[in-house]
Amino acid sequence: MEKTKKFEENMKELEQIINELETGETDLDESIRKYTTAMKLVKDCDEKLKAVEEQVSKMVLENGEEEPFEAFDN
Amino acid sequence: MEEKYLTVTALTRYLKYKFDSDVNLKNVYLRGEISNFKSHTTGHFYFSIKDETSKINAIMFKTNTTKLNFVPTEGMKVFVTGSIRIYEATGNYQIYVEEMIEDGVGNLYVAFEQLKKKLEQEGLFDPKYKKPIPKIPEKIGIVTASTGAAIRDILSTIHRRFPLCETYLFPCLVQGENAAKDIVKKIKQACTYDLDVLIVGRGGGSFEDLNCFNDEEVARAIFASPIPIISAVGHEIDYTIADFVADLRAPTPTGAAELAVPNLVDLKHVFTQYHIRLNESIIKKIKMQKLYLDTYKSSFIIKNPMLLFENKKQKLDLLYEQLIRAMENNIQQRKNALEQLKTHYILCNPKQLYEPAKQMLKNVIEKLELLNPLGVLKRGYSLTYQNNILLHSVCSLKKGDMITVKLYDGSIDAKVEKIGD
Repeated sequence: MEKTKKFEENMKELEQIINELETGETDLDESIRKYTTAMKLVKDCDEKLKAVEEQVSKMVLENGEEEPFEAFDN
Repeated sequence: MEEKYLTVTALTRYLKYKFDSDVNLKNVYLRGEISNFKSHTTGHFYFSIKDETSKINAIMFKTNTTKLNFVPTEGMKVFVTGSIRIYEATGNYQIYVEEMIEDGVGNLYVAFEQLKKKLEQEGLFDPKYKKPIPKIPEKIGIVTASTGAAIRDILSTIHRRFPLCETYLFPCLVQGENAAKDIVKKIKQACTYDLDVLIVGRGGGSFEDLNCFNDEEVARAIFASPIPIISAVGHEIDYTIADFVADLRAPTPTGAAELAVPNLVDLKHVFTQYHIRLNESIIKKIKMQKLYLDTYKSSFIIKNPMLLFENKKQKLDLLYEQLIRAMENNIQQRKNALEQLKTHYILCNPKQLYEPAKQMLKNVIEKLELLNPLGVLKRGYSLTYQNNILLHSVCSLKKGDMITVKLYDGSIDAKVEKIGD
């Protein structure tokens, strides 16, 4: 859950920073600082998106045990 | 004689008028069995409705057939509502079907409407309780059958669009009398998991098949779930209670998966755009700052720094002059004051300071002179002492006593010879 939020929050923060920078109202030092933060966010998110490692589907059994689930083998 | 005979058209029109003006025929509720069913490419249905002894032709236009949540088949028992009219070309009367429900489903349908009304009044469908669906989930739960099209569609759609996401299937029965109970159980089980979103649903089927999603307990389990739920029951046209109470209704299981996850391609595009905008904005900022800097650099004062100094120097000179003038004024004022003091009367006539005192002293001295007993002696008087005691009378004296007589300029020690009166 935390990871997900982080990802979505990163995206929101990124958008917010870009909007702020685009208004051009922040001073240069602040802009550079925000830009650095934003670039880090871009990098993090980009890396995450590039890591197209297929997550395994799991089936949760009655007793709470999990086992890999493949729905396409019919 | 010919005039007696009607044309077929005239007769048919007359009959049509009779049919059309009959209120009872405008709203007919009919039950029967479907036969000779034909689904035309235009989307209209042509069929007959019959029972053991009678038959009536029926037509259902596309505008109404698309509202059906089942596919009518030969021999199916149905309830229909519609109007009876005459089709002039054939002279046949037929029923123009507006609504059709499966027989046996009728009671279920009533129950559905009642439950829907009840839950709606309780506020279970209120938009204010709808939880937002996260844009980028990482863990998705799915409550549906472990076999069948629904789970395949959901998983393949998720994996195609957003393979980063983990999926947890909570397999359950999706039709039959135990289905509702099982769905409730699996929703509750899923709620103990750390999921971002939960898809609850099944593939298409008859109204009866989907009826477990019209269960009150299922509705309440969906409502109580802290995890946002997307419902995906049957096809586009199927609406179940679960759909009304879910945080988001998807038309199909595939649709649910599409609503649950973003498309990775789109997301990457968004990030690329962000990246571009970010760089553009900072470059713009720097360019602007550079422009400002250039303006400052080319300003008159930066180009002629001596001016800064010159100005200051001039100011200093001015201040210095002011200072000197101020000092001179100050000294002059004091000088003037001194001169004024010098011409003061008392300084010019210092005698005035002590002359009156001197006179006064002289007076005092003269007064003292007058009072001084020695002054009296000066005039010839004398004082007589015996043993240093001034004598006022001769009474205490006797012959032979030693006395001292004090005169103006000295004293005489004498011996009393005789005492007169």
